[in-house]
Amino acid sequence: MESAYGLIRTKEAFMKGLFLLCAVFSILALVTITVFLLVSGIPFIAETGVGEFLLGLEWAPLADSPAYGILPMIAATLYVTALSVVIGLGTGLFTAVCLFRFCNRRLAVVIRQMINLLAGIPSVIFGLFGMTVIVPFVRDYLSPNGVGYGILSSSLVLGIMVLPTIVSVSLDALNSVPESYYEGALALGATKEQVTFKVMLPAARSGILAGAVLAIGRAVGETMAVIMVIGGSPEMPTGLFQSVRTLTANIAMGAMELSGDALSALIATGVVLFVFTLLLNISFSMLKRDKTAGKSKGVLNDKK
Amino acid sequence: MKRNGKLLKAVCAAAAVVLAATSLASCGKKGFDSSKNISVVAREDGSGTKSAFMEIIGLKGKADVSGVIIATGTAGVLTEVKNNPLAIAYESLGYVTDEVKMLKVDGVEATIENIKNGSYKIARPLNVVYKEETVADGLCKAYLAFLQSSDAQKIISEEGYVSTNDSATEYKIESGLSGSIAISGSTSLQPLMIKLAAKFEELQSGVSIEVSGGGSGTGYKNAEEGVSQFGMISEVFDSSKAASCTSYEVAKDGIAVIVNKANPTESIALDKLKNIYNVEAGDAAVTKWNQVG
Repeated sequence: MESAYGLIRTKEAFMKGLFLLCAVFSILALVTITVFLLVSGIPFIAETGVGEFLLGLEWAPLADSPAYGILPMIAATLYVTALSVVIGLGTGLFTAVCLFRFCNRRLAVVIRQMINLLAGIPSVIFGLFGMTVIVPFVRDYLSPNGVGYGILSSSLVLGIMVLPTIVSVSLDALNSVPESYYEGALALGATKEQVTFKVMLPAARSGILAGAVLAIGRAVGETMAVIMVIGGSPEMPTGLFQSVRTLTANIAMGAMELSGDALSALIATGVVLFVFTLLLNISFSMLKRDKTAGKSKGVLNDKK
Repeated sequence: MKRNGKLLKAVCAAAAVVLAATSLASCGKKGFDSSKNISVVAREDGSGTKSAFMEIIGLKGKADVSGVIIATGTAGVLTEVKNNPLAIAYESLGYVTDEVKMLKVDGVEATIENIKNGSYKIARPLNVVYKEETVADGLCKAYLAFLQSSDAQKIISEEGYVSTNDSATEYKIESGLSGSIAISGSTSLQPLMIKLAAKFEELQSGVSIEVSGGGSGTGYKNAEEGVSQFGMISEVFDSSKAASCTSYEVAKDGIAVIVNKANPTESIALDKLKNIYNVEAGDAAVTKWNQVG
């Protein structure tokens, strides 16, 4: 009897250790990546000068007198991300509202499935679509100077890519608003439209914001699809129809070809990108905490 | 009834998708407009083709012109030029397909003949420099014979370079060769030289060849000082830089200027081409196709 217990205990201890190891492994990966980035990126930034690196306007790592300014890339990243989230949020939010109460139930299921499918498409396929359809379309019909690559094309592609995130997070946020809000407002004589736009959407605000932050994270970090439609010229963005380069594109375009100082400059670009996504993650978890706190105050749970 | 409704919806959705796709795809077919900006296509930093092209047209180490489209890899350049009626790009002659159009430069067509006889301007010789006594016998003599052989010419053409030795014969494997050769210099010749060296090592087992970079300057210096048996240079041999050496032209590197098939331009002057790619061209900058004429 006793030996059987002993065996179970050993097994238990072993499994416990195994699970702990798995848990520690992901932390270890995070720490390793962070240390790698900082160790190989920070000395380069320090050597170049923080101001010159972050605020420099010229990027020419292979020139006779190399310049490593990434401000144009930071600006392009912000520009493209903002525009794509505006496009994505505009369409996505109304899609969520439609699916929430205004759409035939069965059709809603179909649309939701389709949107989930959209989320599963590999980004390189979005890039391919952008390169062969959106870029020529922008070049031939929208652009005044015949430039297809650049900010508008990238924002359109990214706008489509962030749609699934925005739709599903917004819809979840709308669904988690207590049913009593909806019924209460209807009982007070508000129309369905008024309830949705004046009561439900404001109540779901923090959830929708969290979705927007997630979408921003995706847009900032997206590389493959962007690199295929962005053009890649490292210059300050001034208009919609202009070839620019984002932080991710900068890293991806050079990583296979460059070495030495130029490669360090790319890793330093990675540090900046890492800080960007870190800030976004922190703001996302803060918004989420806010949302869960709000929900616990709700009287009823509408989950059926 | 229920089933029918579902089916109808599915059919409608599919039809809408197809319709949207075809209408968008057909939009892509729009012709050439000479009043629009030239889509200047360049390769990513660190590309050998890019550094060779910029060096030949006299823009070595300069940044790309504003608004440039960076295409990654040979395939990226060709796809872009094939699809964009306003594009101009450069590509190693050996990789250009008939889906794009090659421009004449100063009226001279980019053909292997014209590169060999020197009339096509965007080309340069890739030479090895060595001392006569080094190749008098033994391993180095065998390697030089290999570079002149048809085995080497085959690799040169396969890699997209212009082979200049027409009357080459097959390399005869010599028995009992061993030892090592050091080759250094131009990074433009380096990738080809690595391929050639690998083939030689395969033919002559027991031989090892070390190929390193450093630039054409290093090639002259190492050959002159005997640090390497062969120095690689990507320019016309200048005997004042290595007085005791001679040179052999391994291959020529020809770069074609390519445009879309819808583009009616046939020929471009070298200085116009330079002003398309020159970030410091100022008022002379060529940005529209009707300025090329």
